Amino acid sequence: MPGRPRPGPAFFFLLPALALILVFYVVPLILSVYIGFTPLRDWNLQRLGELSLDNYRRLYHLVLHDPDLRKVVQTTIVFTSVTLAVNVLGGLVLALAMFFMDEWLSLPYRLLWLLPRMTPVAVYSLLWYYFFLPGREGILNSWLMSLGLIDEPRAWGKDPELLPYSAWAILVLVNGFVGVSFGMIVFYSALKSIPREQVIAARIDGASTLQLARHVLIPQIRWHIVYVTVWQLLSLLTTFAHIFLLVEWGTLDRAWGSNWALYVFNTAFLTQDQGFAAAAATVLVAVGVVLGLLALRLMRFREMMVEPKGEL
Amino acid sequence: MALRLRLRRGGPAGEAAGADVETLERRRLNLVLGLAVGLGLAPVLYLYLLLVLSSFSNTMLTSLPLPGSGVELTLRNWEMLFRGQVAPAAGKIYTTRDIVLIILNTLVVALGVTAVVVAASVMAGYAFSRLRFRWRRGLMEFIILLHAFPGVALIIAVYAVYVWSLGPVRELLGRDSLAAYSVFYTVLARASLEIPMSIWLMKGFFDRIPWEVEWSALIDGASRFTVWRRILLPQVKPGIAALAIFAFLAGWEDLIYVRVFLYPQVKTLATFIEESVAGLETAYLPVVAAAGTLYLIPTIVFFIATQRLLLEAMSGGVKG
Amino acid sequence: MVEVRLEGVSKRFGRVVAVDNVSIVFEDGRFTVLLGPSGSGKSTILYLVAGVYKPSSGRIFFGDRDVTNLPPKERNVGLVFQNYALYPHMTVYENIAFPLRLRGEDEAAIDRKVHEVARLLHIEELLDRRPGQLSGGQQQRVALARALVKEPDVLLLDEPLSNLDALLRLTIRGELKKLQQKLGITAIHVTHDQAEAMSMADKIVVIDRGRVQQEGPPLEVYERPRNLFVATFIGSPPANTLPATVEHRDGYPLIRVAGSLYRPGERHAAKIREAGLDRVVVAFRPEHARLAEHPPEGEDLAFEAEVYLVEPLGRENIVTLEAAGMPVKVVTPPEERPSGRLYVVVPRERVLLFEPETGLSLDHL
Ligand SMILES: Nc1ncnc2c1ncn2[C@@H]1O[C@H](COP(=O)(O)OP(=O)(O)OP(=O)(O)O)[C@@H](O)[C@H]1O
Ligand SMILES: [Mg+2]
Repeated sequence: MPGRPRPGPAFFFLLPALALILVFYVVPLILSVYIGFTPLRDWNLQRLGELSLDNYRRLYHLVLHDPDLRKVVQTTIVFTSVTLAVNVLGGLVLALAMFFMDEWLSLPYRLLWLLPRMTPVAVYSLLWYYFFLPGREGILNSWLMSLGLIDEPRAWGKDPELLPYSAWAILVLVNGFVGVSFGMIVFYSALKSIPREQVIAARIDGASTLQLARHVLIPQIRWHIVYVTVWQLLSLLTTFAHIFLLVEWGTLDRAWGSNWALYVFNTAFLTQDQGFAAAAATVLVAVGVVLGLLALRLMRFREMMVEPKGEL
Repeated sequence: MALRLRLRRGGPAGEAAGADVETLERRRLNLVLGLAVGLGLAPVLYLYLLLVLSSFSNTMLTSLPLPGSGVELTLRNWEMLFRGQVAPAAGKIYTTRDIVLIILNTLVVALGVTAVVVAASVMAGYAFSRLRFRWRRGLMEFIILLHAFPGVALIIAVYAVYVWSLGPVRELLGRDSLAAYSVFYTVLARASLEIPMSIWLMKGFFDRIPWEVEWSALIDGASRFTVWRRILLPQVKPGIAALAIFAFLAGWEDLIYVRVFLYPQVKTLATFIEESVAGLETAYLPVVAAAGTLYLIPTIVFFIATQRLLLEAMSGGVKG
Repeated sequence: MVEVRLEGVSKRFGRVVAVDNVSIVFEDGRFTVLLGPSGSGKSTILYLVAGVYKPSSGRIFFGDRDVTNLPPKERNVGLVFQNYALYPHMTVYENIAFPLRLRGEDEAAIDRKVHEVARLLHIEELLDRRPGQLSGGQQQRVALARALVKEPDVLLLDEPLSNLDALLRLTIRGELKKLQQKLGITAIHVTHDQAEAMSMADKIVVIDRGRVQQEGPPLEVYERPRNLFVATFIGSPPANTLPATVEHRDGYPLIRVAGSLYRPGERHAAKIREAGLDRVVVAFRPEHARLAEHPPEGEDLAFEAEVYLVEPLGRENIVTLEAAGMPVKVVTPPEERPSGRLYVVVPRERVLLFEPETGLSLDHL
C-alpha cells in the first residue's frame, strides 16, 4: 500500500476520547476485577495489596445461605426475565401498531412513548413513588378505595402479604414503560425499511393485518428482535437507578425490591464493603463483555464501517 | 431552537406511500390501534399531569382538580421552593436549600458533560470517518463494544481511581479545591458513559459529507486541521447540536454519578429530590412536585425541539 | 501553464484495478477529453493528477517536475467535481475566495480576483447567495470559478455538465471551450458523453476498464477507431458490427458478410493474408450507409436486409434492419420511408475491418 498510515493527525484527533476511555473504561475494567480479589473496605486503598479468593467464597456462601441475598437473586432473575419479555414483545406490538397507523398519528405516539425514557430518573421515580404511596394520599390507594375495591390503604411494595409478587410487579411496571420504547423504535424503523411493495402484494393476496404481520413483517425483522433482546438483557441486568430510588424512598422492600446491580451498588457505597462488591460486580462485567460482543456481531458493524477514501 | 436537520424522512417509501392499497382499512385500523396504544400510555401521562398540577395545589392530587373537589390552586409551592423552604425540620424552622444554587450545580454538571462529550466525539468521530490509521477498525469495534458495555458496572473501580487521585490533587491544589475537583471528576466520569455512542453518532454525521468537499479544500491547499475546522465542522453543526442536546440531558438527569462523586454539600436537582422525598412528610410533597416539574422543563423543551432527530438517533442503537 | 504526463500509471483499490498501466500526455494549453463508460477509471485518473490518490505504480510529471508524491496543494491544479462539492455553509463569494484565503493573500487582492473571475463567468449577482439557493448550472459556474480563481496550471473537470439539462449543457460546452482557449490553460475534461467529447476536445482519450483504448483528435477517433470498443462506444447510434468469414478465391481473400461477398481493398487483403485470418468483424457507421432497391454497381459493401423498424427523429430517420439474423442500423434522410427487402450499401472507404479475437482494427494491426 502506498501512503503508509501516518499516526500524526489521527492521534491528535483521537487523543481526548482515548484518554477518557482509558481512564474510565480500560483501567476501571482491570481494576474492578482486581479489587474483587482484595479485602478493600471503606476505600482504604492500602488494602489493595492483599490478594485472596475470600470475596468469591463469601459470595458463594451467601448466595446459598443468606436469605436476603437469595431474595435479591430471585428478584434479579424474575425481574430481568419478565421485564425482558415485556419490553421485547411490548416493543414489537407497539412497533407493529405504529407501522399500521398513519404517520400523523404514529409520530406523536412514538414520541410520547419515549417520554418515560427521557424523563430524569428522579422525576420518573417520583411519579411512581407517589402512585404507590402507602397512605391514603397514594394515587393507587385512593383510586382503589374510591372504587370500593379495598377498605384500607396498603403499602404495595412492602406488604408482607403481597410480597414478593407486588414488588416484582412494581419493578416490571416501572421499568417496562422505560424499556419498551427501545424495541419500539428499533423495530419500527426496521419495519419501515421493508419495501412497501411487499405489504401491498400481501394485501392484494388477501392477507389480513394479523397475517401480514405474522408472515410477512415479523420474519423479516427477526434479527432486530434478537438484537433488541440482547441489548435489553444487558441493560436490564445493569440498571438500578430507578430501583435505587424506590427502595430508598421506601416504596419497595429492600430485599425483594433489589436486583443484583443495586445490591452491588449498595454494598460498595452504603455497606462500604468494596472488595466484596467488586467480586459481585465481576459477574456483571463478564455478562457485559459477552453480551456486548454478541450485540456487536448482531449490529452488522462491519457493513457500517467504510474505508476512508483518498490518500492524503 | 431551529434544528432543521437533513434527516431521512420515514422509510424509503416515506410519507408519499400514504395512499396505496393499504388505505382500504386505514381509518378503522387507525382508530383501533390509536385507541389501544393511547390507552396503554394514558395512565403514565396522567401521572405526569397530576405531578405538574400538584405543584400548583395546596395538596398532592389524586385526581384532576375539578371545581368542587376542594382543591386550592396556588403558587405557594413555587414560592417556597425558590425561597428554599422545603420542609419544616423542627417546628416552624425550615431546612433551607438554595434552590438557585442547586439549579446552577445541575447546569454546571450538564454543561460540563456536554462540553466534554461534544469536544471528544467531534474530534474522534472525524478521525474514524475520514482518517486512515492503524487499528482504525479494531478501535472502532472496541468503542462500539464499550457502547454496549454497561459503564455503571465499573463504578466501584472508577470511584477507587477517584479516591486515589484525591491525594495528589489535595497536595497540588489545596484542600479548598476538592469540591471543585469532585465536580470536574463527576463531569468526566459521566461524560465517558456517553462517549462511545457519541463517537459513533458523530462518525455517522461526518460520513454523510461527500468526500469531494474535503478533497476540494485539500487541493486548494488546506491542512487536515483546517479542513476539519472550516469545512467539515460547519457542515455537521446539526449533528453537533443533536449530540449536545443528548449529552446535556444525560448530564442533567444523572443521579447515580452525581450522588457518588459529588461532594455531599454540592446538590443537584436529582440529589435534592432524592434527599427531600426520603426525609419528608407527605404533606410537603407539593414543593417537591414543583422541584420535579422544574427539573422536567428542559427535558420537555428539548424533547419537543428534537423530535425526529431523537427518534432517528434512538434507532441507531442508543442504550435502552 | 504546463504539460501533464502519465507514465505507466496504475492504480489498484484492493483487488480492483481501476487504472491499468496508463501513459498519456496532456498537452500544454490544449483541451483533452477523457472519454469512457461508467466505472472505466476516468475519475480515478483525474484524482491521480490532482494528487488525491497516489498511483500504485508509475510516475506523473507536470512538465519536468515529478509530482508523483507531491500533495495536492503543491500541484496548483483546479478541480471541478462531478457534484461540484461547493461548501454549503459559505456564500458563493466565500467559496470562491477560500483557496486565496488559504494562501494568505490580502483581502484587497482576494476581492479583486473574486470579482474578476465572477465577471468572467457571469455570476456577479450570485456572490451573496449560498450554494443551496443556486440552480445546477449556477453551481457549476461557481465551482468553475473556484477552480479558476487560483490561476491553476491545470484545470481538471470531472463530468461537470452531467447534472445539467440538455439545452444548458449545449450552451455551457461552448462557453467552457471558449474560456479555456482564452486562458490558454491545460484542461483535462472527463465525460462519458461522446457528443460532448467530440465537440469540445482538441484530443480525445478513450478509456475502458482502466486502459487507454485510443487517443487522438476527435475526427480520427471517430473515423478510424482502433478497436471494436471504440467503434461501438463512439457514435450515436453506434457502429454496426457484423461477424464475417474469409473465403479465398484465387489467393485473394473475399469476405462473406450477411450472405454477400465483399472484396476488401489491397491493404486490408494483405493484412488478412499476413495474419492468416479466417474470420473478421465488419463494421460501419449507420450514417455512412445508404439503402438501395437494387444491388449497386462497383465494389462497395452491399448486402440484403429486411426493414424492421423506422424511427423518425425529424432531422433524420434511424432504420433498423435485419440481415442474416443480425440487427443493422442505418441513418436515412427524413423523407425516405423504406420498407420491405432492401440493400444496405456502404462505400468501401467507410468499411472498417477488425480482428475478431483482439478486436483490433486491421488498420492498426
Ligand atoms: N476508493 C475506491 N475504492 C475502491 N474502488 C474504487 C474506488 N474508487 C474507484 N473505484 C473503482 O475503480 C473503478 C473506476 O472508478 P472511477 O470512479 O474512476 O470510474 P469513472 O470512470 O469515473 O466512472 P463514472 O463515469 O461512473 O464516474 C470502478 O470499478 C470503481 O468501482
Ligand atoms: Mg467518475
